[in-house]
Amino acid sequence: MSIAGILANPASGKDIRRLVAHGSVFDNQEKVRMTRRLILGMERGGVERIVYMPDAYGVVERALSAISPAIPVTPLETPMRNTQQDTTTAAEIMETLGVACMVVLGGDGTSRAACKGTVNVPILPLSTGTNNVFPFMGEATIAGLAAGVTASGKLPIEQCCVQVCMFDILRNQEVIDIALVDAAVYDDVFMASRAVWRLDKVPQLFLTRCRADSIGLSAIGGQLRSIRPEEPRGLALELGEPADASVTAAIAPGMFATVGVRGVKEMLPDEIHPIHTAPGMIAVDGEREVDIHRGDAMAIRLNTAGPKVVDVRRVMDLSRKRGLFVR
Amino acid sequence: MTPDKKTLVHMYETMNKIRMFEKKLQDFFAAGEIPGFVHLYLGEEAVATGACSALTDKDKITSTHRGHGHLLAKGGDLKLMMAEIFGRKTGYCLGKGGSMHIADLDLGILGANGIVGGGGPLATGAAFASKYSKADTVTVCFFGDGASNQGTTQESLNLASAWKLPLVFVNENNGYGISCPQCKSMAVTDIADRAAAYDMPGVVVDGNDVLAVFEAVSEAVKRARNGEGPSLIECKTYRWRGHFEGDACTYRCQEELDEWMGKDPIPRFEAKLVESGAVSKKEAAAIQDRIAKEIEEAVTFAKQSPFPDPSELLDNVYA
Repeated sequence: MSIAGILANPASGKDIRRLVAHGSVFDNQEKVRMTRRLILGMERGGVERIVYMPDAYGVVERALSAISPAIPVTPLETPMRNTQQDTTTAAEIMETLGVACMVVLGGDGTSRAACKGTVNVPILPLSTGTNNVFPFMGEATIAGLAAGVTASGKLPIEQCCVQVCMFDILRNQEVIDIALVDAAVYDDVFMASRAVWRLDKVPQLFLTRCRADSIGLSAIGGQLRSIRPEEPRGLALELGEPADASVTAAIAPGMFATVGVRGVKEMLPDEIHPIHTAPGMIAVDGEREVDIHRGDAMAIRLNTAGPKVVDVRRVMDLSRKRGLFVR
Repeated sequence: MTPDKKTLVHMYETMNKIRMFEKKLQDFFAAGEIPGFVHLYLGEEAVATGACSALTDKDKITSTHRGHGHLLAKGGDLKLMMAEIFGRKTGYCLGKGGSMHIADLDLGILGANGIVGGGGPLATGAAFASKYSKADTVTVCFFGDGASNQGTTQESLNLASAWKLPLVFVNENNGYGISCPQCKSMAVTDIADRAAAYDMPGVVVDGNDVLAVFEAVSEAVKRARNGEGPSLIECKTYRWRGHFEGDACTYRCQEELDEWMGKDPIPRFEAKLVESGAVSKKEAAAIQDRIAKEIEEAVTFAKQSPFPDPSELLDNVYA
């Protein structure tokens, strides 16, 4: 039986960027509506069963209150702690159940939490906001269709997905965390509201990908290089003064920053890039998360064995070529 | 935005002051030495401290029935507060108000409040007065998750936004309205979601992280001073004690309490302060000793103060 998974994070889209920048407000009711369209798309895509992460708000349960899919849609048996760990645990369980595609509703942070659980299950990250780089920004119906087709096995999985790079965060040579898009060294020990918008506190910035039309911290590198997510290279920037160049970039919705760039270096797979700040924090995918204690040997490493990301456009193109929806 | 060392240390002092004050009240209430009701703020210290640290002396706050933390964080006098709660003539309200009616207009404390949702209209009025008189002051309205369902709160959010008032709504979501869990009384899990209905920013922060609260409220205060109107900050937190002292708390489980006590905001903050070098462990201990002594002095002051004379019963009664 083909199985698709849904991980919808009710906590995403409500951080301080609604105050310090002009981030979109994405309430849970909208996530419910998206989930309805997603389930209908998945079913039409041909998957035979859907499993989902339960959450305190009941995103999927509420979605199901207004639709009647013919396939079973069932919750995972997993403890709810209302933390990021729920997403990580649910992703781990989905792998053991043989889920063939998991859709993550959230932002970069939620996608990262899922990938901490597994990078072996093809992931279709669906954005619930405008401040994201990793997820697909598009209509949930079509994302559901692509996820359903992918999970049903109607197309070769390797043709549906792109394997992207990620970062390993190392403490004393041990991998302690990952980042999907960016890892910013933060010269302060306090997690506080997690978001990063004061760039004078960021002496080092590492990017797995960057584009000139991107938003967030990767937009800084995007003004200097273009690196696709699947390319086996990353970018290491040293920020601050005295600078070789001054870069202006949209680091959050409606928020621009001009930052001095002292050094630019391309990162190759498995290279160790040491972190020079201690104590402090590492912001992974935009959120202060990892503590740097005095005496820790912290480093960043580009890992090419990142998650397999479903390419919605590619899946739908292949579907057309194979006439999956034409009789 | 990380505050300077002086502010960081002040935050640590304030959280400890609230913690020790409330623990002392817990003991004296159990011993039958405190008249009336007390609603303790234990576990929620980071919210009041973080929010009030973002304010100036001239800014104003409205509080709730669980108000001791707000009042202390805004500079309330330990002795006058303790005396009031002990019902003594030397207290803030001459011993006739008790825990839920303490105010100090000189400090911008517009009052604790026995009415759930009663602070919203007062805060809206204060913010309107500030705007009308071009006073450059901001008002913070503390309110709980239960109060967020009251019409007064929703009307206040609406008017504050319509008139672009310099007002910051700080919601303390501790998950329970008296004994009713939020999921039984609210269709949303995040009260911040409601901000969108009033065209104002709504954010959720970890209410047990004093700097998360401080950062969010600081940005909201900046917005308010710039004439950009109100904001809603929802601080997820938990009260360690019952709704009131004496509440058996049969509506929640020990595991839940244990989980939240594991997120105690004070040791979390202390560890970071020590790591950053803002204080040493020895200095932190000295701060705690000093505050403990101040609390003891406040208790002595209260206990040695007289009760109001029955002949004063109707003095200062206006309605």
